[in-house]
Amino acid sequence: MTQVADPDLIEKIDEEVEQDKPWIVLVWNDPINLMSYVSFVFQKLFGYSKEKADELMLDVHEKGRAVVSSGPRERAELDVFRLHEHGLWATMQQDS
Amino acid sequence: MRRKRQSGPIEQIEIGLFALNLTADERSTLLGFVDQLNEVIASPADDPRVRRLFPTAYHDNPEHDAEYQGFMREELAQSRRASIDTVRSVLVSDEPMTEAQLYSFMTVLNSLRLVLGTLLDVDEGEDLDLIPEDSPAFGQAQLYEYLGWLLEWTVSALSGE
Repeated sequence: MTQVADPDLIEKIDEEVEQDKPWIVLVWNDPINLMSYVSFVFQKLFGYSKEKADELMLDVHEKGRAVVSSGPRERAELDVFRLHEHGLWATMQQDS
Repeated sequence: MRRKRQSGPIEQIEIGLFALNLTADERSTLLGFVDQLNEVIASPADDPRVRRLFPTAYHDNPEHDAEYQGFMREELAQSRRASIDTVRSVLVSDEPMTEAQLYSFMTVLNSLRLVLGTLLDVDEGEDLDLIPEDSPAFGQAQLYEYLGWLLEWTVSALSGE
């Protein structure tokens, strides 16, 4: 005989799964920041090579946004903070 | 042998040390704008110039964002004020800048551009050269271009180019 699972427990498990999903940090295009500056900031903050940073910068410029980092929520918040310190338009959301 | 580059506004004089080749007029103009930036940072949060300097972190979750702003906003303001203090001391000094000072100079130039660009409502592809000389925005547009030029030099110097 199967036991009906406790709905509270299911909800709790759902929440935990939700919490485990990684967070992504997005940088959005804006018409003010210089391309050379944005690429330089990506290199400095994330240790990306010039090639990788340029690629991300062009993604932001051409597609309107790019994912620049991902990880646990605290890590993403720190990245968003550092990007804001540098005047970049960054937001974070849970990966879907 | 490496050819010496024609000197620009920012010049690396030895490893980790940079000269700021600006006139007294340029320095005092920048000091004035840096002071204004300090005032903008202290302005109410709904000012559009302030919104650009303190953006939303969670764009799809106002509740999380309010929480985030609650503990990060003051820290961000403090970090900006610290950079501004560094830049003030650099602008009134004849001593060369360290790399860390030049880095602060870069972030402050960028903040100034963000504030001016927001005021000018800069749009992608828009040509600021088209602003007529008798327009009140003309001086702001000139300054915006000047800051962009100076920022490019700063980024190049920090990139070791």
